[in-house]
Amino acid sequence: MIINSILSFEFPPINELLRWKDVVPGLNKVGLIAIAAALIGTLLFLSAARKDPKVAPKGTRNLAEVSVEFIENNIIMQTMGRDGLGWTPFLLTLFLFVYLCNMPGIIPFIQMPATARMAIPMFLAVLVWVVFNVQGIKHQGFFGYFKSVLFPPGVPKALYILVTPIEFISTLIVRPFSLAVRLFANMLAGHLLLVIFALLSEAMFQARDKILIPIGVLPFFMLVFLTGFEVLVAFLQAYIFTILAAVILPARYIQNTKNK
Amino acid sequence: MLTAFVNINSSAQVRVTFDVVSAETGSEEGAPVSAGPNPIAPEIKELAWGAGSFIVFLFFMRLFLVPKVRKGMASRYESIQADHEYASATRDGAKQDVARYESAVAEIRSEASRRLEAARQTLDKERQEKVAQVNAQIAQRRAAAEAEVAAARAAAQSQIVTAVGAVTTRATQIAVGVSPDAAIVSRSVQQAMEGNRS
Repeated sequence: MIINSILSFEFPPINELLRWKDVVPGLNKVGLIAIAAALIGTLLFLSAARKDPKVAPKGTRNLAEVSVEFIENNIIMQTMGRDGLGWTPFLLTLFLFVYLCNMPGIIPFIQMPATARMAIPMFLAVLVWVVFNVQGIKHQGFFGYFKSVLFPPGVPKALYILVTPIEFISTLIVRPFSLAVRLFANMLAGHLLLVIFALLSEAMFQARDKILIPIGVLPFFMLVFLTGFEVLVAFLQAYIFTILAAVILPARYIQNTKNK
Repeated sequence: MLTAFVNINSSAQVRVTFDVVSAETGSEEGAPVSAGPNPIAPEIKELAWGAGSFIVFLFFMRLFLVPKVRKGMASRYESIQADHEYASATRDGAKQDVARYESAVAEIRSEASRRLEAARQTLDKERQEKVAQVNAQIAQRRAAAEAEVAAARAAAQSQIVTAVGAVTTRATQIAVGVSPDAAIVSRSVQQAMEGNRS
């Protein structure tokens, strides 16, 4: 009977969970989260920038400096080296924006990561893709850049028949796609897991069959655990997205230096 | 707020139902919508708001906020570095002062030791001189005392000789009726006293 009860649980259609009605025309919850993320990040750094830098940092100033040092020490220095420190504002903005879009997934009454929709990961991935291609073309010239991408040096010419299509697909098509899908799919999966266990807990706690009520503790514990896990995932996905962007960006410089 | 609404319809069955609303007909503000295109496909309005928000955020971060925070960090690091160097220089100076102080203390100790030794030698010399002087005075006084004793003894001896001579002369005169020569008596008494003494 219990199994039948559980099996009769109907999960809502995916659109019910992901597509949100407009709060005002043309602006839904995801858009609001994106605006809030940009606003929170800007206000954080605005508040930090207005504080006296000579004294020991605390509060927003400390948070801002820790985030700057985190990006510089744990992402840029690990991937690009000192030459990449000029990318700090871009990568820091990328990290903060992704993180602040991820976090609402576990904030009560919001509970929707903006990155669980494809629009923002896709835009950010395309932006990174455009930036690294523009940097490549800027440093190597249009033909030089595409030559270095499609015809990697040191490969026997006969292998270009295989290597060139692979490089074309991996560098120019799959790279932004994988960057976007990795973030989107992880956040969507986390969001769906939370929804599943929340619905299951609620359904069991409200069941008329009293035997289901104590069993409802199990999905509730799982919900609590996954909520904690999503805190980690939100940070981890922002870090992964940013570090992969940082790995992609200097590739053009390195090739450029090697060619010279 | 959960992203779905749940109702329990019967005792044995858990049913989840939703108010079906669409973006086009939307009946509840803020509620999820069920109808629409592929849920994985990006929505234009989300893309526009996401891109716009990020670009504005990036604009402020790139041009104003990060450079200002970074500049503040750099100035504080430089200040800390300068303070550190100043502290290091002060510490080195203090170490040199300590070394100079220890050197001066060693020098003063050496000088004090040298002066103490000189004073000790001077004192010893003066002591020896004083002792010698006192010893000389003692010897002088002893000699004088011995001379006085000898003189007193000689005087006493002369008186004794005279007295014994007179007694002897008188005793002889009484016994024999003849007064002996005073010089012979005196010489005999003297010889007798010297013989007793030896």
